[in-house]
Formats: sequence, structure tokens, C-alpha cells
Amino acid sequence: MSSQPFDIDLAAPAEPSPARQAWLAVVKFTREKPLGAAGAAIVIVMILAAVFADVIAPYNPLATDYGAMLGAPSAQHWLGSDEFGRDLLTRIIYGARTALLVGFTAAFIGATLGLVIGVASAYFGGLIDLIIQRIVDVFISFPLIILALAVVAALGTGVDRVILAILIPMVPRAARICRSGALAIREMPYVDAARAAGFRDRRIILRHMLPNVVAAYLIVLTSFLGQAILLEASLSFLGLGVQEPTPAWGLMLHGGASQYAESAPWMAIYPGVAISLAVFGFNLFGDSLRDALDPRLRTQ
Amino acid sequence: MLHYLLKRILLMIPTILGVAVVIFVLMRMLPGDIVEMRLAGEGSYVQQETIDNERAKLGLDKPMLQQFTDYMWGLAHLDFGYSMWTGRPVTYEIGVRFGLSLQIAIMSTIIAVLLAIPLGTLAALKQDTWVDYGVRIFSIAGLATPSFWLGIMIILAFLVVFHWTPPMVYTPIWKDPWANLSQLIWPALATGYRYSAVATRMTRSAVLEVLREDYIRTARAKGLWQQLILRRHALKNAMLPVITVVGLEFAFLLGGLVVTEQVFNLNGIGKLFVDAVTQYDYTLVQALVMIVATVFIVSNFVVDVLYAWLDPRIRYR
Repeated sequence: MSSQPFDIDLAAPAEPSPARQAWLAVVKFTREKPLGAAGAAIVIVMILAAVFADVIAPYNPLATDYGAMLGAPSAQHWLGSDEFGRDLLTRIIYGARTALLVGFTAAFIGATLGLVIGVASAYFGGLIDLIIQRIVDVFISFPLIILALAVVAALGTGVDRVILAILIPMVPRAARICRSGALAIREMPYVDAARAAGFRDRRIILRHMLPNVVAAYLIVLTSFLGQAILLEASLSFLGLGVQEPTPAWGLMLHGGASQYAESAPWMAIYPGVAISLAVFGFNLFGDSLRDALDPRLRTQ
Repeated sequence: MLHYLLKRILLMIPTILGVAVVIFVLMRMLPGDIVEMRLAGEGSYVQQETIDNERAKLGLDKPMLQQFTDYMWGLAHLDFGYSMWTGRPVTYEIGVRFGLSLQIAIMSTIIAVLLAIPLGTLAALKQDTWVDYGVRIFSIAGLATPSFWLGIMIILAFLVVFHWTPPMVYTPIWKDPWANLSQLIWPALATGYRYSAVATRMTRSAVLEVLREDYIRTARAKGLWQQLILRRHALKNAMLPVITVVGLEFAFLLGGLVVTEQVFNLNGIGKLFVDAVTQYDYTLVQALVMIVATVFIVSNFVVDVLYAWLDPRIRYR
């Protein structure tokens, strides 16, 4: 065939390259879900700010400047400065780092542990399921922040403990949702087939059931991201989360912000805008992702 | 039905017991205890004897297991013990603050429902138009805005625009309703906005779902007035999930109040909880968590039963 004169390149109507395919998917998502794309844009800006904080931030987040104490927004300090003369814009950029670190770690570990527990609970059923579900019941009975505060009280404050305090209440919530997804899949013929073929429990759970609960898992994960950022901000605001001098949005609203609210309102305004915008972005993106992945699990 | 009720009630018992165990264990993991905290404030050197005496008074010297049985025995008698910080009965500490928090909770709920039902219905009727997008952005923003920051912004707006701050001293509603409301409406708004966001989204999706039902098409086909279809056929059926969400969120309101009360400097249950956590007041934290969790478990049960009772399509198993 290659010797023929009109040898055509069989790859001519080529599959678009992976990069182009990804780009097309992005364009499609933007066209169909403008709100989701806006959310994704906010999230991307936030991630860039967090990663390149050292490069973009105009000042050192910890540098105090007593000449600029409670300074109003100006050409030097775009968003003003706080009671120690620290630049607010810089601290907000670095705050994105703290928020994302806490948010991603807590949401990822929380949702993943929940996924494993939920799927195992659904797969084994019977007594194991009953016991796991009763334990889940217990933990779900605590409002998120109440359990998080109790954990902080027991373990202390600081970034690592805050992550733990946030992820513990998330595990049972994720487990509940993933379990109900997995229950439906357990009844599928291919799971019976896998069992009949003599595969071990571990393999059936990991290879046959988990991939089919991924949609539910992703939805849980994205909704946890926003919640985790909000929870971290609340804990830090109460003085029971991230501690000074780490730049964190909630912490920036603790103490000084309300004390100087009248003379330096920028201290109270901008960190809150950052929190709201970040959570807003994650929620918008998560909502659209949920609609795209599974219409049955539509926005509550 | 009776069988279902009985089963649900029986299932509540291990959950409540589990909550009691979890919170007991968590509180015992605290580094240091209240005696050290309190005595540390009094001077540089405290005799060991004094510490031991104080511990004995609070029952902290007993073995863990006995502390636990004492605690459970007390719970069974609805005896929550004494605050380790003030020495007053826990029920008293909670009782004086309960009214305030309950009032804010009720006001937030009213605000949330008044916002959510019209907005959610409107968004569903105008699905995928700018009205729908507007409502959705408003409600997603409500979920994103921390209620404590909204509170700060409300106070700030009053300060800057009117040079006025909401009164800081609590007046019970029966003494001076006007002073009471002008103080409490703001924290209720700050908490209610977030709460309304959850309910708006639920209303929207419930109405959307109902509008696709056959009986709505039938009603339309027989030429029924649009308003009547909406009110009598659609909304009535859509309200069930909305009531559920509102009911369940009510139990969680205390969580929202924890931060809002801090902003408005209100001495309610939420502030009491934060204080108790920072002061290692085990008994108070235990009692508060037990109450919140029990309220949640019971309201969950009530919502489920109501649901089954209101909607004959749901079967009891």
C-alpha cells in the first residue's frame, strides 16, 4: 500500500493533540458553564498568587514599618497597612498560601478517607456497615465548627492541628455520600462477575468500585475545599486557628481589624473580600462540575 | 409506622451515647487542665497541695473510668454538673444565655425563609435567564461570605455612614422590644443570609423538579391560571425538601452563632462555647456539645417522621 502513487497519510484527519483536546474541553466548559469558568478563573488566580507569592508580593509579609502604621491605601501600600505597618496586599497574597494549604490538605485527606471508608462500608455491608454507619451518625451530629473547635481545644492551635481539626468532621460526611454512591454500584452485574471470578475484596473495591464512585468523590472534594477555607478563616478569626505571625485571612480579621474598624476600615474589608472571593470561586466551580459530572446529584 | 418509629427511636440512643463518649475523650486529651490554668494566674509558685485539693474538688483526681461513669450517670439524670470555671451549675450558665441565642436563631430562620422561598421560586421559573443567574450568584455568595465578616461590615457601615453602632448591652424583648430588635436584627441578618443561601438553592431545585411533573402539565393543559398552578400544585409539593433543609439547618445555627456572637459582642451560647473551650471548662463544653448534638439528632428524627407522614409515597422500612 505504501508503494501506491496516491498514498495518503492515514493519520491525516488526526486526533487533535492532547494539549488541543484539553483546550477544546476548556472552551466547551466555558461556553456551557460560564459561572463555572468564572469560578475556575478565580481559583487559578488564587493558586498562582499562592505559588508565586515571593515574586509578586511587593513587601515581606512579616516586615513591620512603624512609619506606615494603619496607613490608608496609597501608591506604596495599595490596600493599606495594618497596626504594625505590615502591607495588607502582601499579607493577603501570602494568606492565599495558608488558605490553599489548609483547604487542599484538609479537603483531600478528608474526602479520600471518607471515600475509602464509605466504599468499604457499602461493599462489606452487614454488621461492618451497621457499625461504621453508627459511628458516622455520631460524628455527623456535631455541627462542623463545634467539632473542629473541640478538636482544636484538645490538640492545640497552629497550621497542622487546624488541618486535622477541619478534616476530622469531614471524613464522616464524605463517607456517608460515597457509601450511598457505592451501594448502587455494589448491585451491578460486573461486581458480581468480579466476585464470581474469584477476585479478592481488595481488588474489587480498588479496581471495580472506586473508579465508579469518582464522580461523587470529586463533588464532595470540591465542595469541601470551599468549606475548609471558610472553616479555617472562622477558627483563625476566633484566635483558635492559625497563629501570628503567619499571614492568614481569618487571622487578619481577628483583633486589630475590629479594634481599628473606624480609623482603618481597610483592615477589616480586604481580608474578608479575599475569603469570600476564594470560597465563591471554589463553590461556583464545584457547582458546575457537579452539574457536568452527574445531573442527578444536582445543586441542593 | 409504629415499627418504623420504634426503630428510629432505638437508633437514636447509641448515637447520643456515642456523642457523649467522643466528647468525653476529646476533652481528656487536652494538655494541662483547668486547675493549672486558673492557679497559674494567681502567682508564680503554687504548692502541689493546693493543686491537688482543687483537683479533688472538681473530681479530676479520680480514675478516668470513674470520671466517665460519674459523667454518664449525671447525664442520665439530666444533671450536667457545675462549670469548672465559675462554679455555678452548667444549666444556670446555659439558661441565662439561651434566650438570646434562641431569639437570634429564630430571627435568622425567619429572614432565611422570607428570602429563600420567593427567590428560589423565581429562579426556578426563570431558569437559565439573567434572573436565575442573579439569584444563583446571590446565594452562592451567601455560602461564600463568612457571617463574621458580614457582621463586621454591617457594623462598619453603620459607623461610617450613620456614626451609630448597634447597642452593645442586651435588653430582653419583653422589656424594650425596640431596643432589643435594633440590637439583634443585625446578627440575625448576618447569620440569616448564609442560611437563606442553602434554602434558596433547595427551593430552586425542588421547584424545578416539581415543574417537570405530569400533574403540572395536566393543570396547564386544562387552562388553569398560572399563579394558581404555582401556588397550589407546584409550591405545595416543592416545600417538603425545603422544610427539611430549614429544619436541619436550624440545629446547626448554633455553629453559625459561635462566630457571629463574637463579632457583635453578644453573650450567648456561642460565645459561652468559645470561652469554655479556651478556659478548659470540660463540664461546660461537654454539656453544650451534648445539647447541640441531641437537638440535632432529635430534629433529624422529627424531620424524617414528618417527611414520612406528609408524603405518602415514602415507605417505612
